[in-house]
This record gives sequence, structure tokens and C-alpha cells, in this order.
Amino acid sequence: MEMSLLDTCIDAIRLLFSGNTELWSIIWVSFCVSMTAILISAVPAIFVGFLLAMVDFPGRWMVIALFNALMAIPTVVVGLTLYLLLSRSGPFGELHLLFSQPAMVIGQVLLCFPVLVCMSHAAFQGIDRRAWETARTLGAHCGRAALTIACEARFSLLGAMLAGFSRIISEVGCSMMVGGNILGYTRNIPTAIALETSKGEFSQGVALGLVLLMLALVLNFTLASVRGKGQLI
Amino acid sequence: MGLELKIDNLVKRFGTREIFRIEQLHVQEGQSLHLKGENGVGKTTLMKIMAGLEKPCSGNVSVTPNHRRWWSDRLHPDVIYLHQTPYVFMSNVVDNVAYGLKLRKGNRHDVKNKVQQALAWARLEHLAEQPAYSLSGGERQRLALARAWILAPRLLFLDEPTANLDRRSVSTVAELVGQLLEQGTTIMVSSHQSNTVTELCNRHLQLEDGALHEVESLTQVKRYA
Ligand SMILES: Nc1ncnc2c1ncn2[C@@H]1O[C@H](COP(=O)(O)OP(=O)(O)OP(=O)(O)O)[C@@H](O)[C@H]1O
Ligand SMILES: [Mg+2]
Repeated sequence: MEMSLLDTCIDAIRLLFSGNTELWSIIWVSFCVSMTAILISAVPAIFVGFLLAMVDFPGRWMVIALFNALMAIPTVVVGLTLYLLLSRSGPFGELHLLFSQPAMVIGQVLLCFPVLVCMSHAAFQGIDRRAWETARTLGAHCGRAALTIACEARFSLLGAMLAGFSRIISEVGCSMMVGGNILGYTRNIPTAIALETSKGEFSQGVALGLVLLMLALVLNFTLASVRGKGQLI
Repeated sequence: MGLELKIDNLVKRFGTREIFRIEQLHVQEGQSLHLKGENGVGKTTLMKIMAGLEKPCSGNVSVTPNHRRWWSDRLHPDVIYLHQTPYVFMSNVVDNVAYGLKLRKGNRHDVKNKVQQALAWARLEHLAEQPAYSLSGGERQRLALARAWILAPRLLFLDEPTANLDRRSVSTVAELVGQLLEQGTTIMVSSHQSNTVTELCNRHLQLEDGALHEVESLTQVKRYA
């Protein structure tokens, strides 16, 4: 029997608040995998962004262009590559990582790393070179001065992390290929939505979609409020 | 032992363009120097090199004695360079002034006292809690001076400290610089013309056509100009 759109939505909301363990385990998987991925990539990616903004070396612009290009790679392509590497006959087949959460984390790290690098590079470029020089002349060693610069760019860096997180929390392609959509283990929000929709079960899909929407709203409003009410230039 | 700065055959180029070539300069503790030159001759570049913020293409600058530990990548702890237009960190005035002192791991109570003294010295007490970016040009210049003063530098580079200031702010800055000189700080001030601050100096250097000459007196500086 066809359900109307309204019925689907009502059903979805009921599902969310009824403590459906299947639904919440899916949300939990999504959250754990993506948080782990972002926590692993944040510091090294921001460091690379910092180096690209502060240190001149031959071929610097090529590295920047490369990361920009990587940012635009479709998630399924990353998924396919990782699949080939991790599958039993692949070079890392011994590790037996395919269809596991660690595989999903690796995939998401690969996906968000370029986003974090490019956006933190842009964030550091927005900082005046005098900030570095001021910190140095007042006695900061290089590491401390870098921390000061990161602190000056804190809001843009948070924005970069948010952009990286948005890329991975909502991506289907890679998680599907290397995670395998195993319920309670590697089924996350996007892969669940894809599956339920293909089965014609819309209410769970809508419920999970609502969770993603809420998450996006909460994160963005939080960032906006710590940043201030958006100063006019 | 008195602080000494020595320059030997210093050359700076940007790309293929040579900015300056300085054979010798010897500065002793307690001296006050005025570095004069037209726009774009390289005053800022020279001062940044002397302060260790920029690398020369050849030749070297030595500031002795240097108590920096051999493994540390800090710059000389007694030397501070103040920008032509000071940079203020994205926080309030107090945190800006405390920045260098916090790095030296003083205890928190001392830091607070010192910051209060520095603010009083630079007449910034009434602005203590204000975000530093809201300060006017003159106030920023005083903030930069307080931020340096608190670290008791022995050699201070002031890059055009009076550019863009009105006459009253200039005389305030001159007064603060005068006090630093009385405390025995060695100071080098750059400017493209003589003013109240540079009149406090007892040595005058002219950077012109990529070379540095010593000029005997103010009148001679004026003749060059
Ligand atoms: N990073 C850089 N790359 C290339 N050229 C530079 C760089 N920094 C400075 N220059 C050039 O070196 C010259 C000297 O610059 P500098 O800022 O030292 O001059 P200045 O004497 O301080 O001038 P002003 O009185 O305007 O402050 C200028 O012609 C400038 O264009
Ligand atoms: Mg200059």
C-alpha cells in the first residue's frame, strides 16, 4: 500500500522517538566512524595547510593544486581504490580490513584530508605574516608561534573541520564499498538510507535524513554562535 | 657584559634585485640610533634581518652575548622588533601585553602585576579589557611598546613608530621611548624624516642607494634629505 508523504514523515518521527535500537545503532556507527576519521586527520591536515601557507618550497603551488583536485574526487572512486587495495588479492589483503569499521575510517580519512588541507590553508592565508613575526620576536619558538597563528585562525579552522565533517558524515559511495553495509557494524546513516529507499521503506530513510539535517543545523549554528553574530566588514 | 650588535658584509637581495650591501656596523649597548632613508630603501628589511626575523643573502649579524640555549629555535631573547604598523592578536589588550611574559613561564600573579605596570606605563589602563582590534593607531603603537617593555629588552627596533600618528601621540611615543633610553635600552628607530622621536638619538645612519653611511649630526641628515 502506498503511504502518503505526510504519513511517512509522521512514521519517521515516531520511529526516532520510539527508541528503535536498529535506528540508533546506525546513527551511532555513523557518528563513531566519522568522528574518528576527523580526529585522526585534523591535526596532520591542519599542519600541512600551515606549511603550505607559511613555508616556500619548489613545487608548492603544485601541491596546493593537487589537494584542490583531490577534494573533488567522487567518493565512489576513493571507495573503489581502497576496495582494490584491501580486497583479499590486493596488497593489503593480509590485514583483513575489508568490510570493517577501520576500513570505513580509512576511507573517510582519505576523503576529508584534502578538504581539511585546502580549507586550513585558506584559513592560514587569511592571517597576516606579522602575526608570526610578532610571536617570534616576543620569544615564541616555532611550534608555539604556529600555535598562536592557529589560534588567530581558530574560527576559520573550525569552519574547515565542519566542512570536512560534512563531506564524510553524508557520503555513501566509499562507506558502501569498503564497509559493506552490515547492520550493527558498518551500516551508517547514508548507506542505510540508500538501502531502505531501494527496498521502498521510506520512513526509516526519512528518520535518518532528519537526524543528518538536525546535525548539520546544530553544528552550523554552534559555529556561528562561537564566531559571533557575523561581523560586517 | 654589554650587549653588542655587529654586522659584517651583509647583502640582501629579493630575486635578482639587490636591496642593500652593508660592510660594517657596530652598535654598543646604550646607544640610540636613527636609521634614515627614503621609502623603499630597505629600512624595514634591514631591521628585520638584525632582529633575526629575516635571513640575509650573505654576510651575518651577531648580537652578543646570547644566552639562548643551543637547542632552542627561539630568537635572541633580548632583542625585539616592533612593526611599522603593529599587529594585535585577536584578544583583549591585557592578553596582548601578557603574551611574551606568559611564554617565559612566570608565575601567574607576577604576570598580572607586570601587565598592570606595563599598562600604566603605556597609559592603556582604561582600555585593558577592550578587544585589541578596536584600538586606534596611536593606542596600538602604545600597546606594541607595552608588549615589548614588559619583557625588558636590551635592544629594541622601532620601525617608523610615528608614521600615521598625530602630534600628541608622537610626543607620547617620544616620551615612552625616552624612558626606555633612560632605562638603558639600546634603540634603533627608522623613519624617513626627523621627528621628536629620532631627535632623541645620538647616532644617525643613512640608508641610501643600497649603502649605509653614518652621518655626524642631525643637520647633516637634513642636508642629505
Ligand atoms: N618579501 C619581499 N619580496 C620582494 N621584495 C620585497 C619584499 N619585501 C620587501 N621588498 C622590497 O624591498 C624594498 C625595501 O623594502 P622595505 O619594506 O624594507 O623598505 P622601507 O625602507 O622600510 O620602506 P618604507 O619607508 O616604505 O617602510 C622595497 O622595494 C620592497 O619592494
Ligand atoms: Mg618600512
